[in-house]
Amino acid sequence: MYKSDDSQVQNNSGTNSRRRVPYLVALALLLVGSLAALMSRPAVVHGSGGSCPVLPCPTATDPGPRPLPAAAGNFYSTLTTNQNSITTRLTQIFTEVNFVAGGPLVKTVGLGPRFNSNSCSSCHAYPAVGGSSPPNNPLFAIYQLEGATNSMPYFVSATGPVKVARFPYKSDLVTPDGGVHQMFTISNRTDAPGCTTMVQPDFTTAEADNNIIFRQTTPTYGAGLVELIQESAIIANMNSNLTTKASLGITGHPNYSDDDGTITRFGWKAQNKSLVYFSGEAYTVEEGVSDEAFPSENDESIPSCLPPFPVPPGTNKTKGVPDDRNDTGEAPKLPVNFPGDLERFALFMRFLAPPVPVPPTQSTTNGLTQFINVGCVMCHTQSFTTPAASIPSLSNQTANLYSDLLVHDMGAGDADNVSQGNATGDQFRTAPLWGIGQRYFFMHDGRETNIVNAIEDHYNLGNGVYPNSEANQVIQNFNNLSSGNQQDLVNFLRSL
Amino acid sequence: MSIDDTTKTKGNDMSLQNNMHPVQGQSSRWKRARIILPIAILLAICTAATAYFPKSAKVVRKANSGASALRQNVALPASVTATDPGPRPLPADAGGFLKSLSANEQQIEPSITTEFNRVHDVVVTSPTDGGLGPRFNSNSCSSCHAYPAAGGSSPPNNPLFSVYNYNGASNTMPFFETSTGPILEGRFINQPGTTIPDGTVHQLFTITGRSDATGCNISQPDFSTAASQNNLVLRQVSPTYGDGLIEVVRNSDIVTNMNANLPKKASLGITGHPNYSGNDGSIMRFGWKAQVRSTLLMSANQMNVEMGVTNDVFPNEIDQTPGCVINPVPETVTNFTPGILTEFFPGDYSRTEYYIQWLTPPTPATSTSSTKNGKTQFTNAGCVYCHTTSFKTPATSRPALGNATINLYSDLLVHHMGPGLADGLPQGQAGPDEFRTAPLWGIGQRLWFMHDGRTNNIVTAIEDHYSLSNTTYPASEANQAVTNFNNLSSKNQQDLVNFLRSL
Repeated sequence: MYKSDDSQVQNNSGTNSRRRVPYLVALALLLVGSLAALMSRPAVVHGSGGSCPVLPCPTATDPGPRPLPAAAGNFYSTLTTNQNSITTRLTQIFTEVNFVAGGPLVKTVGLGPRFNSNSCSSCHAYPAVGGSSPPNNPLFAIYQLEGATNSMPYFVSATGPVKVARFPYKSDLVTPDGGVHQMFTISNRTDAPGCTTMVQPDFTTAEADNNIIFRQTTPTYGAGLVELIQESAIIANMNSNLTTKASLGITGHPNYSDDDGTITRFGWKAQNKSLVYFSGEAYTVEEGVSDEAFPSENDESIPSCLPPFPVPPGTNKTKGVPDDRNDTGEAPKLPVNFPGDLERFALFMRFLAPPVPVPPTQSTTNGLTQFINVGCVMCHTQSFTTPAASIPSLSNQTANLYSDLLVHDMGAGDADNVSQGNATGDQFRTAPLWGIGQRYFFMHDGRETNIVNAIEDHYNLGNGVYPNSEANQVIQNFNNLSSGNQQDLVNFLRSL
Repeated sequence: MSIDDTTKTKGNDMSLQNNMHPVQGQSSRWKRARIILPIAILLAICTAATAYFPKSAKVVRKANSGASALRQNVALPASVTATDPGPRPLPADAGGFLKSLSANEQQIEPSITTEFNRVHDVVVTSPTDGGLGPRFNSNSCSSCHAYPAAGGSSPPNNPLFSVYNYNGASNTMPFFETSTGPILEGRFINQPGTTIPDGTVHQLFTITGRSDATGCNISQPDFSTAASQNNLVLRQVSPTYGDGLIEVVRNSDIVTNMNANLPKKASLGITGHPNYSGNDGSIMRFGWKAQVRSTLLMSANQMNVEMGVTNDVFPNEIDQTPGCVINPVPETVTNFTPGILTEFFPGDYSRTEYYIQWLTPPTPATSTSSTKNGKTQFTNAGCVYCHTTSFKTPATSRPALGNATINLYSDLLVHHMGPGLADGLPQGQAGPDEFRTAPLWGIGQRLWFMHDGRTNNIVTAIEDHYSLSNTTYPASEANQAVTNFNNLSSKNQQDLVNFLRSL
């Protein structure tokens, strides 16, 4: 499939110089082909019947997310006494609701001027704190808090995934942008006195210009292990099974940090190096709380929407940037808040144990075999082992994350035209599969609630801009499985 | 010193050739131009358009086309009569913490100073000690950030000569380090032997042979081969004084300043643009190419890159050859001992962060009639259109850093500096020939200049800003300003130089 498509493109450019008519025909075909490929986002498949991107259509059905109680969200049982003694405080910080100014605590100020939500745990919520989107979208309880005059963007639905919007290009539709455009502003919030004129981004125009893409919330369980996996292990795994990978059309490569040259591994494009880095970025990007890693307010254009705000004496203020920082204490010798929130967020996530899969059954055991046989495992690497670590709970552990931590071409149907570091517009990190048994929404933009559809969504042809998805042959293999094997594979995924 | 001179001469030779044989090269050049021009135009558009606000991007784009055309035609007058009075002698007019820090902030000054001065050995013996390597450039922040006081830049005698064989290490000294030259680190443009872009620091030394690293056997990078393949880039140490003030300057103020005086800048051939963070879209501002956003990220990054000390932000060893990863990672750790909510709670990188965040800016010498006139000439010649005199910091949560006028003499933008300075290494939105306008505060006591420390003479450093275009890179944006400097009267030239040495 991969090959024949490539040669088609080559043939087209080959005839180009010879005669006009075939050239035009070929060009037209190419255009149509590209358009088709662009729109080849797989149609909704509900189990059997329906259309699918590659025949034969799958017959498996999604048993749906495993019900609560959560099989994730606990701290490591092996934390030291001293580490355990701070977990309560870490949870408080991760779940704290931030206000613009005047919040109940000195640590709970700094929201905005632009934000997606007011708390880490509102989005990192399901099946337990630290996870991903809950079944009911939390933003509806947030967007007009404290008198804010936000309207809800068209793409947010009450039972849909929490997702953030990025614009691939600036308003000229040529210059690359790629940044998050926060959904909400603090305009007219009572805790932001004076800020009344900051308007929300024009998402509708962006949609009309085909210039908006979405990313949903990623879970953070087990992230402390992911952070420590050695580069050498990632590279060795990348260079293993090369013959099989080549036969499947799978390549993949790491996304590297400009800072120290090591492999970055968090986020949908593996664009983020570490939990401290990620916390620092998310705090200012998602909540507008500037911090010591990224000390700028996320919109500086309206002075009355910047700290310090004129809140009544005696209430907690933001004094200025960064909104949150390590605090040496307000009274002599009381450095009670020395570590800033970003370090505490990082510790919270680092201490979260990976999700616990359900005990294997005959079906899920066969499902794992099929997962390996069809080739899913060539990107969704079953496990890595962490090196000796200074936090004993993270040391020499096998992490069953089902990801190679590399980025792969995923074809035109998944491409979001945003490049980040070494990940191009159609490349995504192999999403770790641990915990998907209780996950509600799938793919980077949360387009699916059905895990069978999510599998099919990995199949995408290339177009003039992007190559075919590296998963195409694997999806073909999956669709070729017997009904029983297909269903076992799906059951296996829902057991994770 | 010698290698730097060679590099520089090479750059000038290329420019000269272009100048001297305009007709001969024309037809082949036209062919090349047909390929290069569209790419160049696209690049120019993209570069200009990276500006954060679409409106300002348009303005800049207009200025850019006029400006680069102008830059090609600048001819450099030969006569420079000014001489460098040399660095002002010690005592240091820099170093020490902001006086306005609160009592509680002041109480941790001793522990952050200890951290910055800590000499790291390989083996971790406490939550704060050890962690060096497996690859490293030095074993302490303050060994390189040394002059005129801790936090600064290269001292007169290269400290690496007492570091490289320390504790039995079997390192040889790379050819480009000299005992009385600047401390230089090496980056490779491409991964050795390939055309795959690299750009990262290749640390000078390894822990191989050290008595505290038995079992580790790795070799130093092959710098000689890299140099022979034009694949080696050298960068010297930047001073850190005043960095806490620089990091809180508003992005909007940087952009406003970029868009100020546009006709004047266009007439000088000056454009420039920010290097934006892919993370939060704010303007990065530290490092020779403005590639680092904050003191936190800088200190954490340097811990791993310069010393090999893994930390909570960069927890992976740069080289993981078996036998060389001696300690559990990360090596500088959050300290979980009871009573954790103290300054020892975060890892070392936080303490070094505060050290550089809280250092006061250098204090200039008292002005004289010569330096006053020099400052006027600095403006007249056009230096000031990149070396922006001052910014004001906004209200800050740490009061000592807020609402302060900071005389850094930089616009915090990156600019094309021509083939003579280009190092071939893009970082973020800074192209291979673009560099951040180096802040000039403190250069009165600085010993080496330019990104690769190629000169110790400040007049030469001014002239080094001048470079004609070649087929790869446009002309330096500083060409007209340097020409203007050279056209000044002897007295005005000298006053300008005296002014610089007063900073």
